[in-house]
Amino acid sequence: MKHFVKTHKFTILVLLLLALTLPLQAYVGPGAGFAFLSSFLILLLTLFLALFSFLSWPFRFLFRVIKGQRAYKKSSINKLVIIGLDGMDPALAEKYMSEGKLPNLKKIKNIGAYARLQTTTPAISPVAWSSFMTGSNPSKHNIFDFLSRDPKTYLPGLSSARIGKPRKILSIGKYNIPLSKPEVKGMRKSIPFWKILGEKGVFCTILRVPLTFPPEKFSGHLLSGMCAPDLKGSQGTFFFYTTDKEKIRKRESGIIIPLNKNGNTIKTYISGPENTLLKKEEEIRLPLIITVDKEKEEALLEVSGQKIVMKKETFSDWIKLTFRPGLGIKIKAICRFYVSQTHPHFEMYCTPLNIDPEKPALPISNPFYYSVYLAKLLGSFITLGEANDTWALNEGVLSEKAFLEMTYSNHKEWENMLFNAINKTKKGLITCVFETTDSIQHMFWRYLDKANPSLEKNHTKMGVKVIEELYQKMDELVGRVLEKLEKKSDLMIMSDHGFKSFRRGININSWFYLNGYLSLKEGKKDSDEWFKDVDWERTKAYALGLGGVYINQKGREAKGTVQAGEKTEALKKELINKLTGLKDEERDTVAINKVFDRDELPSGPYINNCPDLIIGYNKGYRISWDSVTGKVNGIVFEDNIKAWSGDHCIDPEVVPGIFFCTKKINTTSPSIIDIAPTVLELFGLQVPYHMDGRSLLDGQNLPSDQNKKEKGKKK
Amino acid sequence: MWLFNSIFGRLFEFIFFPFINMSPWIGMIFISFLTALLMLFIFRFTSNQQGIRQVKKKIIAHLLELRLFKDSLSITLKAQGNILRYNLKYIGYSAKPMLVLIIPIFLILVQLNLWFGYQDLAPGQKAILKVKMEEGHDLFDINIAIEPSSALNIETSPLRIEEEREINWRFLVKEKGVHDITFIINGQRFTKKIAAAQNPLSKISQSRVQRNFIDELFNPGEAPLPGDIPLKTIEVTYPPQRMNLLGWHIHWLIVYFALSIIFGFSFKGIFKVEI
Repeated sequence: MKHFVKTHKFTILVLLLLALTLPLQAYVGPGAGFAFLSSFLILLLTLFLALFSFLSWPFRFLFRVIKGQRAYKKSSINKLVIIGLDGMDPALAEKYMSEGKLPNLKKIKNIGAYARLQTTTPAISPVAWSSFMTGSNPSKHNIFDFLSRDPKTYLPGLSSARIGKPRKILSIGKYNIPLSKPEVKGMRKSIPFWKILGEKGVFCTILRVPLTFPPEKFSGHLLSGMCAPDLKGSQGTFFFYTTDKEKIRKRESGIIIPLNKNGNTIKTYISGPENTLLKKEEEIRLPLIITVDKEKEEALLEVSGQKIVMKKETFSDWIKLTFRPGLGIKIKAICRFYVSQTHPHFEMYCTPLNIDPEKPALPISNPFYYSVYLAKLLGSFITLGEANDTWALNEGVLSEKAFLEMTYSNHKEWENMLFNAINKTKKGLITCVFETTDSIQHMFWRYLDKANPSLEKNHTKMGVKVIEELYQKMDELVGRVLEKLEKKSDLMIMSDHGFKSFRRGININSWFYLNGYLSLKEGKKDSDEWFKDVDWERTKAYALGLGGVYINQKGREAKGTVQAGEKTEALKKELINKLTGLKDEERDTVAINKVFDRDELPSGPYINNCPDLIIGYNKGYRISWDSVTGKVNGIVFEDNIKAWSGDHCIDPEVVPGIFFCTKKINTTSPSIIDIAPTVLELFGLQVPYHMDGRSLLDGQNLPSDQNKKEKGKKK
Repeated sequence: MWLFNSIFGRLFEFIFFPFINMSPWIGMIFISFLTALLMLFIFRFTSNQQGIRQVKKKIIAHLLELRLFKDSLSITLKAQGNILRYNLKYIGYSAKPMLVLIIPIFLILVQLNLWFGYQDLAPGQKAILKVKMEEGHDLFDINIAIEPSSALNIETSPLRIEEEREINWRFLVKEKGVHDITFIINGQRFTKKIAAAQNPLSKISQSRVQRNFIDELFNPGEAPLPGDIPLKTIEVTYPPQRMNLLGWHIHWLIVYFALSIIFGFSFKGIFKVEI
């Protein structure tokens, strides 16, 4: 007691004073008024919400019964946690397990199940995660790549979502005043399994699963993951500020802002979104003043009414920015800064402008205030889909150390969200996907492959153990989740694909050009980005995205040359024959294992949006950087010398994912499309017929009528 | 103390000078606005802004939790517990600025009471003049005479109330203006100002008190009486003033309190003050 009094002297004094001064509050005026009015309102609101919650509970229960939401009635479990470790590779996991480096995963393997998880064709995250959530093949969920193409323009678009302008606009003077919200349309089709669970009253929290932007309405909580844009509408545009004129050049996915130093002061700006309020759209800029202290190796940033002292090689916290396009409208964003150098040149990195989760400019969660809740409770967090800025490392703007620091900092935010959800879910499903594994493997794989050309250019001492430590960190995470599991709870850990080294890039468009399938305009020997100099009227096929090849088909493409039907089929066969087994003569290695004809892949309502052919590259190969962006030249094979040295956009058979489950499963070769039916079965729900996957359980959890059907299917 | 009261009083006269011929509401709105700005300024520099910001975030988070987890009784109860906990913390964070604010607010309130607390007297209106004597002096032995100005008419002979140690007169106001009334006690002369039908907004001093820190603090309108005389206070019973809002007669303190809070909340964003 004495100790309590001693340590809480001030609190006690304050409480005493408050008790004594309560009747005098009115005379203390606004100072006390602010505090007590706010407190009183909060208490009143709390009581009202509590009362409302209690009184409405019987009605909500009745409503659920009437709607048939008799949750958990046939469920064999109370709680299921699914941890997605994007890109965790089975070969590495098995190796580290055998070396005793992943004790928690090994434990799950021993008590439950472990298998390599068959991925989708193509083995690309948005495709695989869409199949994970819908239990369907890509032709049913409409996602075939990161990019889709517009056959009218041959230009790429994001496959996951379309962000359009508001439909109704009022034009006054220089302004276009929106009278409706901008159109945000998700392109992924079919039904995620959590929507089915939610309809039946199973409580679900879905965190950062790719392809959940825009967030769909369902009875549960969801925070969007991969494909959620930044405030500029891109998938992540970083900023690099430098006074070094020699470093000013184009950087992929970034904006370089040259700086001029005036004494110790630099006046510059943050490049914001386009001002769509103006008829003549222009970028909104936020003034940024930097005062450099060479001696202390720090910089003072003044932006959006804040002063931030930045130590060299240290990330700032999330900084809130307010962009004002006019008419009193505010657009909120958050970002982090990193000063990499103070002298002789000043250099600073700024993350892409993330949508502020506390005041989201676009919907990023369901319900919309779920992101507000998470931000208020746990602090600001990264909302960008492609959270870990791999391009900043690729382009030499961030060091490996800084990249890892930022990546693990993002990871920590997601862990906090996961454990908050686990702690608050007594019954239900929690799914959280961590892209940490994917990003770090992409950027550090070369250290596992001595033959990777990028190792020579990008080699640091710290890189050698990074992937092993990554796997161990994920294992620790699994261990902490295991500790939280109660009775009748299960845990699944899975990845959407594995990883392999990316040594050589293949420019398929150049191969088409050199082999007469793609023609350039008269006098041109190469083409700039996005097929700028391609002569479409003399082109038969082109490649776009990470694995797709399209036939330039008449009636479909704007300047199509190949008749649909027999001609297209013949051309496809010809290309399959020529490309399958394509050899990299320089390395005497087969570069392409197989080419998939879309007509031979599982069919579905959206098969027409699938590329005509999908290329299954061999280990060590991938489509080249230039080919992805539609550049054409005379070089087919080239070394990959970027830090991005691991990849998975290759033959799906070569890059399966991992699957761990605390329950035994009925097969040694599960597929990613089997997870959704398995989850539904665990909660005692029927698997809808549109799902292509099968439950990995032995059927004892299925409702009896479904059980019969399943057995029939297996026969 | 009188020097301070005099300067502070002059400041308020200066502030209210443009509004003396207008409705008292205008002056009230203006002073509430100024007070709100002062309070915001003091609140910003004396409170733990970061702490308040964090606590408010937590409170909102747990309020949202009530909505997000409405079907879970245990989470709802925990959220309510957390809201109360953070609410107490919030009050704790507000205590320091509140304690700091007490001093300026008290001084302001005392001054405002001079301007908004009482109605002045109208010609033809009667009022009581009270003289309070120190202990140890026999009220019936004191030689007290009264000299009103020509604008005032003393209607009664002095009424001595032994229990209250008071001598009272009733007087009638004959003309507008600020009039002096002089008391002669044991040969010494003391005056008291009496306000009659000045302006819609006017400063009215109800009491003139003997030199004493506390009494002077509460009655800053006139110079204090000397400390060595038997006279303790001279007081005029002005009728209390109420602010008229659409037929509602509201005490000025409530109006001031409400307006300054409204202004405070309205301008907190502009001045980046977390309250």
